[in-house]
Amino acid sequence: LLRGSPLTTANLCYNNLIIDNFTYFFKVGLLLSTACIILMSLQYFQQEALTAFESIVLMLMSTCSMLLMISAYDLIAMYLAIELQSLSFYVIAASKRNSEFSTEAGLKYFILGAFSSGILLFGCSMIYGFTGVTNLEELAKIFTAPYVLRPLSDSVMLNSADASWSGVFMGILFIAVGFLFKITAVPFHMWAPDVYEGSPTYVTAFFSIAPKIAIFANMLRVFIYSFYDPTWQQLFVFCSIASMVLGAFAALSQNKVKRLLAYSSIGHVGYLLIGFSCGTIEGIQSLLIGLFIYVLMTINIFAIVLALRKNRFKYISDLGALAKTNPILAITISITMFSYAGIPPLAGFCSKFYLFFAALGCGAYLLAFIGILTSVISCFYYIRFVKIMYFDTPKTWILYKPMDREKSILLGITLLGITFFFLNPSPLFLVTHQMALSLCI
Amino acid sequence: MLQNINPFYSSLSLSALILFPLLGGLFVSFITESKIRTIRIVGLCTSFITFLYSLFFWLEFDNSTPKFQFVETIQWLPYSNINFVLGLDGISLFFVILTTFLVPICLLVGWSSIQKSKKEYIIAFLVLESLMIAVFCMLDLLLFYVFFESVLIPMFIIIGVWGSRQRKIQAAYQFFLYTLFGSLFMLLAILLIFFQTGTTDLQILLTTEFSERRQILLWIAFFASFAVKVPMVPVHIWLPEAHVEAPTAGSVILAGILLKLGTYGFLRFSIPMFPEATLYFTPFIYTLSVIAIIYTSLTTIRQIDLKKIIAYSSVAHMNFVTIGMFSLNMQGIEGSILLMLSHGLVSSALFLCVGALYDRHKTRLVRYYGGLAQTMPIFSVIFLFFTLANMSLPGTSSFIGEFLILVGAFQRNTLIATLAALGMILGAAYSLWLYNRVVFGNFQPNFINKFSDLNRREVFIFLPFILGVIWMGVYPEVFLESMHTSVSNLIQHGKFY
Repeated sequence: LLRGSPLTTANLCYNNLIIDNFTYFFKVGLLLSTACIILMSLQYFQQEALTAFESIVLMLMSTCSMLLMISAYDLIAMYLAIELQSLSFYVIAASKRNSEFSTEAGLKYFILGAFSSGILLFGCSMIYGFTGVTNLEELAKIFTAPYVLRPLSDSVMLNSADASWSGVFMGILFIAVGFLFKITAVPFHMWAPDVYEGSPTYVTAFFSIAPKIAIFANMLRVFIYSFYDPTWQQLFVFCSIASMVLGAFAALSQNKVKRLLAYSSIGHVGYLLIGFSCGTIEGIQSLLIGLFIYVLMTINIFAIVLALRKNRFKYISDLGALAKTNPILAITISITMFSYAGIPPLAGFCSKFYLFFAALGCGAYLLAFIGILTSVISCFYYIRFVKIMYFDTPKTWILYKPMDREKSILLGITLLGITFFFLNPSPLFLVTHQMALSLCI
Repeated sequence: MLQNINPFYSSLSLSALILFPLLGGLFVSFITESKIRTIRIVGLCTSFITFLYSLFFWLEFDNSTPKFQFVETIQWLPYSNINFVLGLDGISLFFVILTTFLVPICLLVGWSSIQKSKKEYIIAFLVLESLMIAVFCMLDLLLFYVFFESVLIPMFIIIGVWGSRQRKIQAAYQFFLYTLFGSLFMLLAILLIFFQTGTTDLQILLTTEFSERRQILLWIAFFASFAVKVPMVPVHIWLPEAHVEAPTAGSVILAGILLKLGTYGFLRFSIPMFPEATLYFTPFIYTLSVIAIIYTSLTTIRQIDLKKIIAYSSVAHMNFVTIGMFSLNMQGIEGSILLMLSHGLVSSALFLCVGALYDRHKTRLVRYYGGLAQTMPIFSVIFLFFTLANMSLPGTSSFIGEFLILVGAFQRNTLIATLAALGMILGAAYSLWLYNRVVFGNFQPNFINKFSDLNRREVFIFLPFILGVIWMGVYPEVFLESMHTSVSNLIQHGKFY
């Protein structure tokens, strides 16, 4: 099916859900990454002797809701899916019962998440109030129609319906805010470092990867398909710049691994929002490519964090002299870090190059410029990993226990992907182009 | 040099040249570290075979055409018209040969002086070799940039792991971040070019004409990247740091090849694609280069660390090269290429000399050395030869290069040529003074008591350099004849006459 044989497009459930190329590939990506994450966490469950089955069930339920979210074609369906996903997440964030850090993380996530869902719902209801429809297709028709002079005289709504109309704009703003909360963009990112750090590691991995995929899919559909208007572009430009800058600067002073990864994922969301805020097809395509490569790299790094769990890998300096004791793992981390930093010829560079290309293509020169500046700054802390592993000598020797087979396979596959993506990037580019086209047309 | 009967088909493949060291590195990575001798021999043979293979490219090179030869196209992103396009012409031919020449030397240098992570050393250098050959062969702008940047990763690790002091980490960071920062502007410029023309293939871009305003913008962005690599004066600080902290072989590669990447980029991309902007900025480059020559030459006289002296003299030489290059006439550009090649040989050999001293006495401060002529005579002779070559003594290759550059610059601007010649005098000053202090004079028995002259391996390392320098100095036409058509094509293309 990746070769582009035509896929049926269908609207289901009274136009609440849609299936087309876009959702198909997104779902495949989401399911694959969830499978990888669950694979990674198997050893965690074994080690902690968590015989309770709730974690897996909740993860799968949230995956199910994310699948619904990707296909959502109606504001109500979208909200329901988001709520289900968030509810499952609140619970598993607090699932480490003997750690109050984890409970705190869950509580923070719950409060802020519920708040943001409330804002989202408020936005949806305002849209409904001002336009009278909740279906995304109907909204698309309303917002992208030119000023049609209908023969009926009471069509005040249709004649002046564009996103700058104040009521609708408020609604869109609220929806955007709600979404930006979920993907941890600045200035709605405050919960991310604490929640990422406090949750059990496999949950953090799940947080970093899955919701971003699903919510980006939903955002793309809502904003680019339904509300296609340059008015909200400024909001996303601002968020993108702020995310990149914050992600670069805040991570410079971090000592703990998971917090650093949280900030680095905030920075990455900033880069992805570059692609989002230029509303061209290249922009969407670059976002999708960046998302896919981000997922690849994040699976890699979280597999490593999970693998080193037994050695109490909390602080970055716990990695000291990894090059001497475990050289293959050291090379893996180095390559992933260089890829995060965007150094050629690794996969991260390809994603950044295409993102900057899309930004330049639609005239967002400031975005590209700030993008490169923050790339260089963030390079510093990514290289710090390499430095600690290769150049430092730790004060006490650290013995590393071997990791299980599933994680090694995952690490091998993702490392291969990151290193050799450069040699054959065409399939991904073609697939994402197909996805972007089916979204817009 | 030999006749190529069928001009369109060649049995030599550039992609094989690039892949071979990589495969060697891969093969070596599977041998266990306990068989270190096997690893070293395999690595050395790989790099040596690559060198011989690159010589075949020289033999089969056709001197009479300015077109790119041995062109290969491998698909990368057909959707965006970006493909791996490999090809050589008169300008890049010798850089490839220089690269493949220096890497076996580096592996030989590390034969007994590298004590930790010996296998990774070999792998790092082989990977670095294939990336560097790829840089010089690549005729596609974006992929050139990719390989241009990707040499940073192995160099970062080489400086950081096998460097000599704790300051190496700062040096490695500085090297990495300086270069990365400059080149990201180049990435934006490349993307802008791609967006405007729809392709990044150099052969097509040479036919496009950008508007003058856009040319100036793109030229500045490219300049930001190449100026850091050259290095030109405000952004040259990474070079002394990186050279001092790097291991001997790392310095050899850094001075021999990586410095040439910047000027090669100017020659291959900035000047042909943006001719009007080049003319616009020539006074700017002249000013920066002359300041760099005189400033670094004067700074060199004050230095106390052997490697820093040679590093600063590298800066001065590379700025000579940019003066020659931006003279934009035949003598200037050919002189600049020849000086680049000669500097690749001479500076690398000087770093090898310093490395030999460092291996024996573990110090690089000039204060501690003296009277080496009496205890290390072979070393003194070789060191004298390369010091004189560094000073551009007639008969050595750097004389030809500098002479041609001065001839070219004199035609454009006599003041610059005069000041650059003044730089040559200063160059003689610091080179001779360094040599005097180290080799002649009295012993420093308080510091150094035991001496041992160069062993056979080290003498054999120096011999190719001596041969190369003398050959280029006495009969440079062999090298120059391959460059004539490409360089004159460059000048005609930009209408610089």
